Amino acid sequence: MSIERQRTAKFDELAREYGADLYRYAMWLCGNDALAKDLVQETFLRAWKAIDSLKETRAAKSWLITILRREYARTFERKVPKFTDVDTVVVPDDDELEPDDRAEVQMLRQGIMQLAPKYRDPLLLQTVLGSSCKEIAEELGISKSAVMTQLFRAREQLKKKLQKDGVTGNVHELF
Amino acid sequence: MSMNFSEFKRRLGAEPRSEDAEMLAARDASSEHRAAVAEAEQFEHRLERALNTPVPADLIDTLRTIPAGKNHGRRWWPVALAAGLLMAVGAAGLSWRAAPDWPSVEAYVMDHYRHDGGRLVAESFEAGYGNVHEVLAEFGLDAEPALANIVGLVKFCPTPDGKGVHMVLHTHDGPLTVIFMPETDVEDGERWAFDEMDVLLVDLERGSAAVIGSNRDQLSEYYAVLQDSLVVQSDRS
Repeated sequence: MSIERQRTAKFDELAREYGADLYRYAMWLCGNDALAKDLVQETFLRAWKAIDSLKETRAAKSWLITILRREYARTFERKVPKFTDVDTVVVPDDDELEPDDRAEVQMLRQGIMQLAPKYRDPLLLQTVLGSSCKEIAEELGISKSAVMTQLFRAREQLKKKLQKDGVTGNVHELF
Repeated sequence: MSMNFSEFKRRLGAEPRSEDAEMLAARDASSEHRAAVAEAEQFEHRLERALNTPVPADLIDTLRTIPAGKNHGRRWWPVALAAGLLMAVGAAGLSWRAAPDWPSVEAYVMDHYRHDGGRLVAESFEAGYGNVHEVLAEFGLDAEPALANIVGLVKFCPTPDGKGVHMVLHTHDGPLTVIFMPETDVEDGERWAFDEMDVLLVDLERGSAAVIGSNRDQLSEYYAVLQDSLVVQSDRS
């Protein structure tokens, strides 16, 4: 296989393996479908240009996350007026859910958006992208212990919100 | 010595799916531990369901076109995919091959702003660029000082009827985006809102403009500024 075909195959694998999760992550980061698509596209564009620098396939996910987060910080995070809201993220994908479940999903999504960034960031990296505490610590430049504390608190805050907002069903039995 | 329950709960709350040997061993330490694991798994299921937003069906296929060079440069996805936008950005500037078919001026303005409105506002504060006089001269127009002095960024952009101008103004009430559409007719004074932004359409002597900002009152003030300060070049001599 020629070098060019190898590069393309490597990129193709990255797109298939991580494209969807990175889009979901981008969607939660910026709260807007069009921006999320743009962000993922830009991430993969940069990844393609630098594909030769990726020596180990197992490092690919962290590499892509770093590119995406830098791109997000560069273009959207600073001084950008907030022109999206929670409703943008609350995509109507839950038609098959029972009304109580739908209400719970809605509340959790609102709760996630309302979390302080220091809690939301590690939670999204863990739950959307499947990153380990060690990987999150490296990505965010904080200690693993701090990551664990923030993840614990993030979940506690979400559970409290569900309790406070009176979601019915088994959720109450959790606490 | 086994982990106490309080520590177990803390670590479970941080990493419910931990593969750590100590955590795996502690999961079955007592009925209390087992109940906590069951509760944590139930909560994770709910959390994952809430976070699982749908992914566009064509996302991966579109990404896979990048190595073929069909997808270089920041793109306007929804419009590009829906309308087969053929727009080339050349080294010398923009060359226009075709214009997308927006159903209305309102749809165009929203698509446009969602595409790069926020990013250009941010860029205008970091490193504004573009010469407003040179850009407007392409349309036989110029800007009076009341407008020219507050332009933080100016660039060409697509409009429903060809090339137009995207400007970010730095006003005393914050940033304001103006999209000038030289060939597009609008209903003067029409207003609407989207994504927490207000829009006001302005019918100009030559062409029209959409003024976009987060402060409704601010728009009215700059309606007049645009009317007065965006002038036809021949009128100035």
